[in-house]
Amino acid sequence: MDKQQTLAAERRNKAILSVVLAAICILWVLPVVAVVINSFKLNTFVKTDTFALPTSESWAGMANFVKGMTFGNYPFKSSVLYSVVITVLSTGLILVFCSMAAWYIARVDSLFCKALYFLCVFSMVVPFQMVMFTLSKTADVLKLNTPWTIPIVYLGFGAGLAIFMFVGFVKSIPLEIEEAAAIDGCGPVRTFFSVVLPMLKPTLISVGILEIMWVWNDYLLPVLVLDINKYRTIPIHIQYLKGSYGTVDLGATMALILLSIIPVIIFYLACQKHIIKGVAAGAVKG
Amino acid sequence: MAEVSLRHIKKVYPNSERTSKKGLFGRKKADDGARKASSLRITDEGVLAVPDFNLDIADREFVVFVGPSGCGKSTTLRMIAGLEEITDGELYIDGKLMNDVAPKDRDIAMVFQSYALYPHMTVRDNLAFPLKLRKMDKQTIDAKVNEAAETLGITEFLDRKPKALSGGQRQRVAIGRAIVREPKVLLMDEPLSNLDAKLRNQMRAEIIKLRKRIDSTFIYVTHDQTEAMTLGDRIVIMKDGEVQQVGTPQEVFEHPSNLFVAGFIGVPQMNFFDAELVRDGNAYSVHVGDAIVVPSAEKQARLAAQDVASQSITLGIRPEHISLASGDAATLVGTVDVSEMMGSSVHVHLDSLGQDVIVIVPTTEIEGPYQDHFFAGAKVEYAFGGNVIHMFSKDEQGTNLEF
Ligand SMILES: Nc1ncnc2c1ncn2[C@@H]1O[C@H](COP(=O)(O)OP(=O)(O)OP(=O)(O)O)[C@@H](O)[C@H]1O
Ligand SMILES: [Mg+2]
Repeated sequence: MDKQQTLAAERRNKAILSVVLAAICILWVLPVVAVVINSFKLNTFVKTDTFALPTSESWAGMANFVKGMTFGNYPFKSSVLYSVVITVLSTGLILVFCSMAAWYIARVDSLFCKALYFLCVFSMVVPFQMVMFTLSKTADVLKLNTPWTIPIVYLGFGAGLAIFMFVGFVKSIPLEIEEAAAIDGCGPVRTFFSVVLPMLKPTLISVGILEIMWVWNDYLLPVLVLDINKYRTIPIHIQYLKGSYGTVDLGATMALILLSIIPVIIFYLACQKHIIKGVAAGAVKG
Repeated sequence: MAEVSLRHIKKVYPNSERTSKKGLFGRKKADDGARKASSLRITDEGVLAVPDFNLDIADREFVVFVGPSGCGKSTTLRMIAGLEEITDGELYIDGKLMNDVAPKDRDIAMVFQSYALYPHMTVRDNLAFPLKLRKMDKQTIDAKVNEAAETLGITEFLDRKPKALSGGQRQRVAIGRAIVREPKVLLMDEPLSNLDAKLRNQMRAEIIKLRKRIDSTFIYVTHDQTEAMTLGDRIVIMKDGEVQQVGTPQEVFEHPSNLFVAGFIGVPQMNFFDAELVRDGNAYSVHVGDAIVVPSAEKQARLAAQDVASQSITLGIRPEHISLASGDAATLVGTVDVSEMMGSSVHVHLDSLGQDVIVIVPTTEIEGPYQDHFFAGAKVEYAFGGNVIHMFSKDEQGTNLEF
């Protein structure tokens, strides 16, 4: 086969690949598009013309948003507050504790650390459904059932992935830099915060994004652990839109779903540059 | 300002995967192929990297540890730095026992082969970091940073991050970070080995200048004998963790204590011949090939003082001490293999007495093109005097018989 032919074949393959990937992309984006379109449609049109763009007849304007937020007897702003509190606290805890733990695991060569590491990796493959019932009991007993304490539960569930990623990255940092810090006058704590943590920035951002998306969207854990009458997060609030009214108000539901994904998308776009670098940095050297 | 004494220092890397908790958390190092290949003594406890190291380093002295890869130079240096636990023995800096003192409290600084700059800080912050940790006020820090930057010619890079610098510039920053603190002892582990040949020569000259300016004691590790010879006040030559010889560059060059040192110091390498040492009363002679060389009176006296008997020896002569003389008493004959033009001299490789012998011939002594004299297959007569020969025992150590 001569060169030109291979090149042509390559180009053809690329074209096929593009088409396939484009199709997958569309499938992926379709639900989001549906949410966006339908959040501006009157409830009755959501079921009948799901994928049609809003017409003058079906246009609901902001009505769905207003309805969704004022619906039922639970204030939407409390839901937002609790969602934010839980997400920020959980992610913060995970980043701080897991990066420290990962540094120790990566740098100390002991059986204990090996065991800890494999425990963390193992925890990633245990499905949540396997532990959720015992968890809700335990959480009640330990008073982990408020928005202020549930981040500790999230820390436990998030630690596996976070430590796995941090360890991979820490191992790629040359030890000499930390030794230089030790000679320059840092103790272990100083070394961590002044030298290691700044170098971990790309991984901090990628782990941060993953954890934020997970905690923000999580429904099952808060619903099982929190006292639903007192504390609702946004996903729970959305769920209750239908429970409280007999029929499902799909328009309002879509509107709230749209509201809840906007912050995540903004955050993701803002940090996108770092997440790709970070994921690669952690993964390749793992 | 600081004397450093090492007394019976020993280092065993433990067998188990758990390394000692020292400094930060102890260090971890994957043992690659090269490490496994080196001739290590593996005992029940682990890898014996340094069995028994003794050395007294004077204040402001410049000591160079030199030796082949894996001989324990870095290990010894890291023990002085406190990055590696000392298995046994005592380390004193300024008369104070340092075995259990944290690296940051030893008042030392270290330059790493890989530079080990803080990648997230600008050059200025890199230099200022050790000073900030010592809680100096801002003005003093600025003054010291600027002074160090000026000394090393890195003022224009002060606001760049390390990744925007070339290797040589990074190395300057690394040295700068070590000297701003004016440490008692400045440790350097192969600081120039990542640089190209030209830059290395230039940096070597700068290190010589630098040491005149600052009052620190220098301990410098290298595997390059040229660096060792040019930089060191004293050279410590190591092999397999053991010190082979300690001395000034001139001493180790002129009086190597054994075969290893003789072969390691000097380029091109010393020539070695199988020879016979013959003793007749207090008079000695060396029979090599058909020639008989009479050691200088001084050497004979030393041999007699050691009561050295007649025996087979390894005879060593440096290439620069061989002359192309004819009519001399002790003449040997060789056939030219290759000749290399080095500019001021020609390195002639001879096949003589069944081995490769290198002779350095200054260009000034050659008439016309050197190929006319030293073409492949040409017969060459050479000779050496009795004052430049080195006599080593035939046993494994190959000790110099004059000692
Ligand atoms: N962490 C370790 N665990 C086990 N053995 C080690 C460890 N570090 C070094 N060694 C061994 O100790 C010996 C001395 O190593 P060291 O690093 O001091 O050599 P070196 O003289 O600095 O060599 P190079 O010129 O290659 O840097 C080596 O043979 C090495 O295999
Ligand atoms: Mg080394």
